[in-house]
Amino acid sequence: MLGKLLKNELKHSGRYVITIYSVTAAVVAFMAIGILTKVTWIGVLCSVLLNFVAVAILLVTLIAVVKNFYESLYTNLGYLSFTLPVKCSSLLLSKVIISFFWIILSYVIAGLCVAMVGLNAKAQAGEQFSGLFDLLDMSGLREMIPSGATMAAIIAFAVVMILMHILTLVGFIYFSVTIANTRPLQGHSLLFGLLTFLGSYGVGYAISTKLTYSLPLSVYVTTEKIGLAFEKMSFGGENQLFSFGLGGTLFIALAALGLLFFTGWIMEHKVNIK
Amino acid sequence: MENIITVENLKKSYGRHVVLDGVSFSAEQGQIIGLLGPNGCGKTTLIKILTGLIKDQTGVVRIDNEEPGAYTKSLIAYLPEKTYLPGWMRPIDAINYFADFYKDFDREKALSMVSRFGLDARQRTKTMSKGQQEKLRLALVLCRNARLYILDEPLGGVDPAARAKILELIMENHAENATVLISTHLISDVEYIFDRVLMIKDGHVIVDSHVNALRENGKTVEEVFKEVFSYAW
Repeated sequence: MLGKLLKNELKHSGRYVITIYSVTAAVVAFMAIGILTKVTWIGVLCSVLLNFVAVAILLVTLIAVVKNFYESLYTNLGYLSFTLPVKCSSLLLSKVIISFFWIILSYVIAGLCVAMVGLNAKAQAGEQFSGLFDLLDMSGLREMIPSGATMAAIIAFAVVMILMHILTLVGFIYFSVTIANTRPLQGHSLLFGLLTFLGSYGVGYAISTKLTYSLPLSVYVTTEKIGLAFEKMSFGGENQLFSFGLGGTLFIALAALGLLFFTGWIMEHKVNIK
Repeated sequence: MENIITVENLKKSYGRHVVLDGVSFSAEQGQIIGLLGPNGCGKTTLIKILTGLIKDQTGVVRIDNEEPGAYTKSLIAYLPEKTYLPGWMRPIDAINYFADFYKDFDREKALSMVSRFGLDARQRTKTMSKGQQEKLRLALVLCRNARLYILDEPLGGVDPAARAKILELIMENHAENATVLISTHLISDVEYIFDRVLMIKDGHVIVDSHVNALRENGKTVEEVFKEVFSYAW
């Protein structure tokens, strides 16, 4: 049944983001025409638009995740969702997976938008652009760029961190929306949802920040390698480019998982469809 | 005959307001039961509990000897009072959706019924009239070969001429040997199809009787209902 839930969830939630993706595709196509035809004003205009679109994609996706979750479960559509012959945990899991998918896709598309802006700048600036690399060489910053394998490991680490923070965001959003739609709070679900989110997310991140600095578990990066250290996050070690405390991220991701389990429990036992 | 519904000492409150206060009844397979009572008497709450939409009640609720959950939801074809299809959905989408999740859903019959109702399978529900939407929801429910049909006010929003047609459809299309629980306050229109009636007042079942037993006293279900609820209509 999870496969069927995923299929239908993808279909339902896709409507929310498809418009902004279409707008992005149109702007990118227009920019490509500008680059190919070497019409400067098109490239400049599209660069500005793409910067806005990159931000808009992330915002629209976030709103879509909240809206789709709320509407499909806690409005009249809940009569359809909650009477399906599936467990509430499956219903929740399908929504988490698809939200995760849309957010990641939006991050990728937003990243591509920024890359397109860079590409356009390169096309516009021509040789002046390569001068930037000369500047890097002259300032000595180029020596600080990690080797290929290290860079790949840093990127992989960054991707894992981003994924964990996306999971965290989804977990806190779903928890807040669900709490706000329990019987005592559903009269003012928007207000309570917002308060719950801001409160829980704020407290969660305050603890997370404290743990990031105080827990002796960190990742350090030098120009040669990336490694794990059972030490507090530190600045300016020997050959060290930076280090990053893992305690906070692990805490907030575990908190989000806990909240998702709790959300599933509330959906199973306490939800009261209006 | 085996019981499809067993309810014992069911209690449910919304804050201090008690909606169901020790409700007990059972339903055998194959019966058509009228769930009757004035607005706010707890009919919809009882239905929501049976369908698993409310879980924080106390007492015993069993559908085919199981507590409400994924299994019991697969047995129940439920027609809520509210419109529950998203506006972007078209009849063909709704049919595919039901076919995906309910093994007992007859897709071909649904397509044929939608066509018989004069509905366009490609028209979005948000552009349909209320009556068209009700027809679609009814088709989705009646095209399941369910063990238990729960219909909450199926005649609520339709004109008197259409009511007879809807009842005819329900009688013709519900699965053989299935139990049908119909909540309504339009008793005169529907009472002839009932085998049994449950009347709820102030959270209690005050009448649980076979229709024939009521009629032996020379009264219609509606007359009994008026007596019980002391209505001066």
